Amino acid sequence: MKDPAQQWLIDRASPPGMLACGLRRPNGKCVCRSIEEAYPAAKMEKVLGQFPGLRAAADTDKLSPRWCTWAFEQGQIRFVERPDGWLLGLVVRMESDALPTLDPLSIEFLALALGN
Amino acid sequence: MASAKTNQTLRQVLFVDDEQNFLLVVREVFGPLSAGHWQIHAASTTDAALELLKHQKMDLVVVDVNMPLLDGIQFLNLLGKRYPDLKKVSLTAFASEEKRSASLAAGAELFIEKPHSDEGFKSVFAMLDDLINYAPQQGFQGMLRRVGLQDVIQMECLGRNSSVLEVYNEHVLGRIYIENGSIIHAAGGELVGERALQRLLALPGGSFELVPFELPPENTISGPWEFLLMEAARVRDELASQTIPGEPVVDPKTLAAPTTAAVRVVETVICSGLGKPLFDADCADVNGRVTLLKNVAQQAAQLAQIFPLGSFDRLELLLPDGRIIAQARADRLVFVRVANNPVSA
Repeated sequence: MKDPAQQWLIDRASPPGMLACGLRRPNGKCVCRSIEEAYPAAKMEKVLGQFPGLRAAADTDKLSPRWCTWAFEQGQIRFVERPDGWLLGLVVRMESDALPTLDPLSIEFLALALGN
Repeated sequence: MASAKTNQTLRQVLFVDDEQNFLLVVREVFGPLSAGHWQIHAASTTDAALELLKHQKMDLVVVDVNMPLLDGIQFLNLLGKRYPDLKKVSLTAFASEEKRSASLAAGAELFIEKPHSDEGFKSVFAMLDDLINYAPQQGFQGMLRRVGLQDVIQMECLGRNSSVLEVYNEHVLGRIYIENGSIIHAAGGELVGERALQRLLALPGGSFELVPFELPPENTISGPWEFLLMEAARVRDELASQTIPGEPVVDPKTLAAPTTAAVRVVETVICSGLGKPLFDADCADVNGRVTLLKNVAQQAAQLAQIFPLGSFDRLELLLPDGRIIAQARADRLVFVRVANNPVSA
């Protein structure tokens, strides 16, 4: 039986166009999934590890954003950080079915019971 | 947008690094990537670099931060004094906030971590190439709030000039074509013709640039320019009478007349691609915003090294009371903060 975080990623974060996704636990450990070969789980983990720098770059500590989206020519990376320390990262292709799911998934993640 | 990438002039790029192996890799990788449009020079000491600079005008110098004797930061400072117009980039194997700040303060346009993968080299190449090719457009540059767009059109028409006025804000780009003193075409959002001209002239704010004339895709406007401008003023006044007092008469996102009150723009900063502020509105700390935009560009470059997602466009932050968009493109940096609720007039 997979843990709830991993199960949520499998169940919910895999619409067509999702390239990779991952969760970082409050203890720093990550659960990452690669959906497309060019976006391996190890790199997703690296992206999650880079989040503190990304947050600092945008000075978001003072702004308390609900989420942030780094938009590139061919895709977007969405980060959602919860007050309890959980972090979600979603990488989606532009103009794909996954793009409009970013907001609902982010809202769902913020309300999810995940424990530690 | 007239991209300088179309300019195929041979670019002179100097890499200064005490690691000979890295210089070799740079030649091997960036040479083919530039498709022959970069002439790559390499110097393993700052002395050798200065000697090269005496004999060859460079378009870009890329400096390793960690070098013996005169380190990269000191060297950047020296270059800034001797060659104030030279574009400079600092490169390091061990990035830190301290080095980044010192490099940017010393005049580096970019602070880049040394790449370790093919994708990383490609990403760095793209950044450097964009930087080399970036050049401010020739011609007049102005702001709607400071110099009337209508005034510039009048001047162009009176002078029987041919030009294109690019009118833009963070949402839309419009063009007004003037040929031999006659307005012949306008386009913006989904509108063309006189309607586009009228809506562009009714925009609540933004920027414009006068760029060299090029033939429009079609001619959609005819008639004396005096009449066209008067008609545009009349339409603007008419729209204003139908809108909520204090609200813009044209939706700055679509050029359509707004049917509902839009979100309130709290703060705007527009800079050149190199971070030179061109326009700001209601921003208490322009330098702080420019630094933020540069930081965002740096971080985006690192993300781009991890995942192949193409060039970076923008960072969007959803706040409890609104939204921030930090756009960092090669040719422009834009910071816009909007609040959800409009201010009642």
